[in-house]
Amino acid sequence: MSDAPHSLDCREAIERLYEYLDQELTPDVRQEVERHLRMCGKCHQHFEFEQAFLRFLEARARGRGAGPEVKRRVLEQLFGTEDR
Amino acid sequence: MTLTTEERRRQFETEALPHLDAVFRYAHALTGDAMRAEDLTQETMLKALRAWHQFERGSNARAWLLTILRNTFINEYRRQQHHGETVDLAAIEPYHVFEDVQDVDPEGRFFASIVDDEVLHAIRALPEEFRDVLLLSDVEGFPYADIAQMLDLPIGTVKSRLFRARHALQHTLYDYAVEMGYVKRRTS
Repeated sequence: MSDAPHSLDCREAIERLYEYLDQELTPDVRQEVERHLRMCGKCHQHFEFEQAFLRFLEARARGRGAGPEVKRRVLEQLFGTEDR
Repeated sequence: MTLTTEERRRQFETEALPHLDAVFRYAHALTGDAMRAEDLTQETMLKALRAWHQFERGSNARAWLLTILRNTFINEYRRQQHHGETVDLAAIEPYHVFEDVQDVDPEGRFFASIVDDEVLHAIRALPEEFRDVLLLSDVEGFPYADIAQMLDLPIGTVKSRLFRARHALQHTLYDYAVEMGYVKRRTS
């Protein structure tokens, strides 16, 4: 068995893109991806683009929590109904 | 062991209520309407309180609440909901938006110009099976294994649906950004 690390090509790196950004890869595969990203400017840029997209998504779609009025009504209904 | 009403209320306040924002947010993403989201939130929290004895203490309360919410939505709300436009996944070109914008906006700055309502609209227009995984992953931040458990799917299916959902959404938002003049489409 060889200790030489497997070298990913661009297609293999891109296939692992989301799993990498979602932190779902095992440490050794993660290292393989990072090794490729250090060598390949285009893939590096692509990963950064996708990361920007995911951050944007999280920020934009997370904006709508329950406001204080909604919370008040939910609690009122919740325990009001239950206590009856 | 049976809990008294007071004990149950105390546990519920400590473990379930901190997730009220997440419940409302998920409800809003599913219904697309603040009033319907509030109704769905109320119904979910009431069901959760009544079923509190079934909640396994120490397990993930947010995942438990969102599962109740999703089931309630599927059973009661979806029937009444008008389905507008949907994304035809088969029609999506199998290329990354990055390929198109790498020369003009490789950092994806155009995303910042897109308003929240447009994002939520685009998420709601996704086919249900794709919207589910996208919301649980990208909005709620659950790991693949938790999503697989919540939706009762193999992890591989979660992964592939998430990949396709993100692509579909990215394409929709990119097309919108091009239409609004936030980014130029590559012509070559």
